[in-house]
Amino acid sequence: MRRVLTAGVTLMTVSALAACGAAGSGDEQLTVVMWGGADQKTHVEEAVEPWAEDAGVTVKQDSPSDYAKFRAQVESGNVSWDVVEVEPNFAHTACEKGWAEKLDTEVVDTSELKAEEVTDCAIPVLEYAFTIGYNTETFPGDHPTTWAEFFDTEKFPGKRGFWKYATGAMFEAALLADGVAPEDLYPLDIDRAFEKLDTIKDDIVFYETGEQQQQLVASGEAPLVQAWNGRIFSAAQEGQPVANEWNEHLLSYDQLVIPKGAPNADQAMDWMAWYVDHPEAQAGYANETGYGPITEDAVEHIDEDVLSELPTSPENAAKRAAIVDYAWWADNYDEVTERLNEWAAQ
Amino acid sequence: MTTLTHAAESPPADGTDPATRPGRGHGAERRGLDRWGLLVLPLVVFLLLVFITPLAVILARSVTDPQVGVENYLDFFSSSVYFDVLVNTFEISGLVTLLTLLLGFPYAYLMTLASPFWRGVLLVAVLVPFWTSLLVRTFAWKLLLDNTGIVNTFLLDQGLVDEPLALIRNQTGVLIGMVQVMLPYAVLPLFATMRGIDRRLVDAAEGLGARPIVAFWRIYAPLTLPGVVAATLLVFISSIGFYVTPALLGGPKSMMIGELIVQQLSGVLNWGFASALAVVLLVVTSLLLLVVSRFVRIGRLIGGQE
Repeated sequence: MRRVLTAGVTLMTVSALAACGAAGSGDEQLTVVMWGGADQKTHVEEAVEPWAEDAGVTVKQDSPSDYAKFRAQVESGNVSWDVVEVEPNFAHTACEKGWAEKLDTEVVDTSELKAEEVTDCAIPVLEYAFTIGYNTETFPGDHPTTWAEFFDTEKFPGKRGFWKYATGAMFEAALLADGVAPEDLYPLDIDRAFEKLDTIKDDIVFYETGEQQQQLVASGEAPLVQAWNGRIFSAAQEGQPVANEWNEHLLSYDQLVIPKGAPNADQAMDWMAWYVDHPEAQAGYANETGYGPITEDAVEHIDEDVLSELPTSPENAAKRAAIVDYAWWADNYDEVTERLNEWAAQ
Repeated sequence: MTTLTHAAESPPADGTDPATRPGRGHGAERRGLDRWGLLVLPLVVFLLLVFITPLAVILARSVTDPQVGVENYLDFFSSSVYFDVLVNTFEISGLVTLLTLLLGFPYAYLMTLASPFWRGVLLVAVLVPFWTSLLVRTFAWKLLLDNTGIVNTFLLDQGLVDEPLALIRNQTGVLIGMVQVMLPYAVLPLFATMRGIDRRLVDAAEGLGARPIVAFWRIYAPLTLPGVVAATLLVFISSIGFYVTPALLGGPKSMMIGELIVQQLSGVLNWGFASALAVVLLVVTSLLLLVVSRFVRIGRLIGGQE
């Protein structure tokens, strides 16, 4: 869902290539599906190819992850995806509805992973944070360091960008801004969150894709965004006047699931086990993208300048307000989405 | 107006798909299907498989998922926000149709007056954007219309405005983008009709004493009506199903039904509701065609000349 529109182009290219390459190849293969773009390319190069070479498996790719396709493949019994990067609320739903294979914990060792990020069907693939992304030219001295300040349009005038999805952490941010203690965040008081959001409604701009997010904040159109840390990191590396404020960040993560009936579920499980077990592969990906690795021991393989931009660094981890509770979101996503539509349309 | 008076005889159901029509055949050939008619069979099978079957599945799903009943339709019509999306879809499509006609009519008229060379230039100017990917054009509009985009930067630099005009993430953005995308669909049928009009009729009217403006409105304009109706239908019906352009150029207040379907389908995974939305869209479109077919022969409009 995340980058649906922009990834559409990638999808067409990739599926065209996939169609050409379908013939031949060895009998062992694995089809990996992620969000597409440079992010997927890096991930596969750093953390799938090395395993595939050792295991003698041909890696195929598709993109972007699409929950409708996921469900359609499982329901029709015609599954062509083996392992798919998804948002955790979908992973919960898929597991509950029997659309995803249960993990074999004999194969995949989950003991090194954060307990909150593991379910019966899914392990994390990366960590990221919803940070306060700000334009350093608009706010050269003082910039918002808390969600309360992020919502303070008098002290910090200008538009605020939010991700257009219910799970985009805007409700969490609103409640923190309204004085809810991080440990009391869930179950979310959606009424109260909307009341808080009402106070800055005229200053809200919604973004849908990572590119839009970067463009909004870098151009100063919305000098403040509730950001994905990696997007701000990469924009800053390209010389854009943007930065992450890590204080009160909300930790989030993407997960990997295996669709029920995946033709190469065993290979998928094998690769997941390898990924958990190879901190240097996780770190290789993190170094390129600014999205965090999933195990603690990967931290030592990460470049110094990247580490300060990851939610995984000890320094940043201490500034975390909460981790997004996707189990709650899995139960409430539909309803809150409907309310968000309604609220935004008024 | 003579072309329009055939309306009552047959509202041809074949009109919706030019591909299924026998083309420029004369009436006699159309009557009976001889052996050559069997050549159509693969197409019929193809349509059955890839169009009719999924349609049936969607219909069925809209009344069975998540439970049997018309729950999904009730939800849609009882929820003010989703009904507003439908109203909004029609409002935007109507405005787009109106604007494309206002722009396309004089353009097509100019094409009939121009010398062959300039007609070619005008035609290419319509066709080049027509052949360019919708996605590319929509992103180009984003670059132009953003608050920090080319248009606003220019206006600000020239001191023409104090703060950026809100050209994007609202209905204005959607209209600008969609009108540009739909313009060829108005210009081409208008031009096709106008090219077939005998200009000597206008000359005759003027010869009989009508002032040029009167001759234009009383003789020429009514003869362009088939083109106008064709353009209206093409633009309006294509517009109500739009997704990419409103999603990228619009804001939460200008949501169209296509966006809502995608959200329900791949975001919320509420397939029953998404199917119901699709059925509503289809029914409304069909009703519209039915109404129009009472007045004009849609088949002829879209299938070309006699």
